[in-house]
Amino acid sequence: MTKAFFTLHAMGFVLLALSLCLPQIAHAHGVVGDRFFPATIASDDPFAADELALPTIGLGNHEEDYDFEYTKTIFPHVAVSLEGGYVNAHPPGGPNATGWDNFEITPMWQFVTDADSEFVASAGMGFEIGGSGSKSVADRFTTYTPEFLFGKGFGGLPDSMALLRPLAVTGVLAYSIPGRSTESKAVEWSGALEYSLLYLQNNVRDQGLSEFVAHLTPLVEFAMSSPTDAGGTTGTINPGILWSGQYIQLGVEAVIPVNHASGDTVGALMQLHFYVDDILPQSLGTPIFGGNR
Amino acid sequence: MIPRVMLVAVAIAGVSAPAMAHAFLDRADPAAGENLQVAPTRIELHFTEPLEPAFSAVTVTDESGRDVSAGPTIVGGSEMDLPLKLLAPGRYRVTWHAVSVDTHRTEGKYNFLVLPP
Repeated sequence: MTKAFFTLHAMGFVLLALSLCLPQIAHAHGVVGDRFFPATIASDDPFAADELALPTIGLGNHEEDYDFEYTKTIFPHVAVSLEGGYVNAHPPGGPNATGWDNFEITPMWQFVTDADSEFVASAGMGFEIGGSGSKSVADRFTTYTPEFLFGKGFGGLPDSMALLRPLAVTGVLAYSIPGRSTESKAVEWSGALEYSLLYLQNNVRDQGLSEFVAHLTPLVEFAMSSPTDAGGTTGTINPGILWSGQYIQLGVEAVIPVNHASGDTVGALMQLHFYVDDILPQSLGTPIFGGNR
Repeated sequence: MIPRVMLVAVAIAGVSAPAMAHAFLDRADPAAGENLQVAPTRIELHFTEPLEPAFSAVTVTDESGRDVSAGPTIVGGSEMDLPLKLLAPGRYRVTWHAVSVDTHRTEGKYNFLVLPP
């Protein structure tokens, strides 16, 4: 038994040494099998990847928002994001309010990545830190938001539906729990339906698209909030377009309120997004532990 | 002012980015979904980034799943090249995987058709 025990341990050390010597293949932002999912703007995408959204600019509904989100991988498929933003609100009939919104930290784990079915799923836990923002615009209490995120491409559709293969969906189902009992909990549900021209060009039928056009992804996003204690659902539907380059992504969307309680004007969202894993693949763009640094 | 800020940031990102990223398929010959009157003798794939030869390859199979390559994949720079046997009319599937020099992996597949004479 002792001999077998040591033999097993010796084999383990050999395998460990081999694994450290072999080059490690990185699976990074938005790629699952044949599919590339661009980063969505109004809803979180399900990838634990090194990326930076700076700035995300929201205009409309009597408010301007200037946000950022930085996501850092700790281990492969495990990341932590830090999100914050500056708010300039000028509600009709009310005083203007400006200042920093609360910062939010979200650890997440991408626990399913299935290349064949172009499916990815993640779980996260958001902590919006009460009091970390300005008193004029930010809550003084912390809000906790467990969330489930997924993405699914439709590359497996039959030949008769080949032109629908570039379609993909992403979604987020979350439950926000304010740290103050007088505030209502809410189910947050958001997602995107997107059509990848890159997938159409490279995997279905070469349409002779220019390089710029082939990197466009038209999409419709939605972001809804349904309080569980009081009040009705509010949210927006956001048709828009994303352009994904080798290192950056640009996106613009219209923001259409779904009802009067959600707003009375159509707004706009714009985002510049950096693929940090591609910009700095040997340093900041790789996991702190278990990466290919 | 806002668009100007974004334009400056885009310009900085474009100028400062090093030449390493995911290797996405840039163009292919034969291309995805192409109907060919003349059977191709090789597959050429061009990628957006230089490839790691040891971890990049392409295969071509016929409708019964049989490999129709006439040799190994040749990888050089950002290109892959695969010689093919004499192809009969029918549908063929190209399946590739690529690892760029910064070790990011991508993969893809598509079909092309060789028409009867």
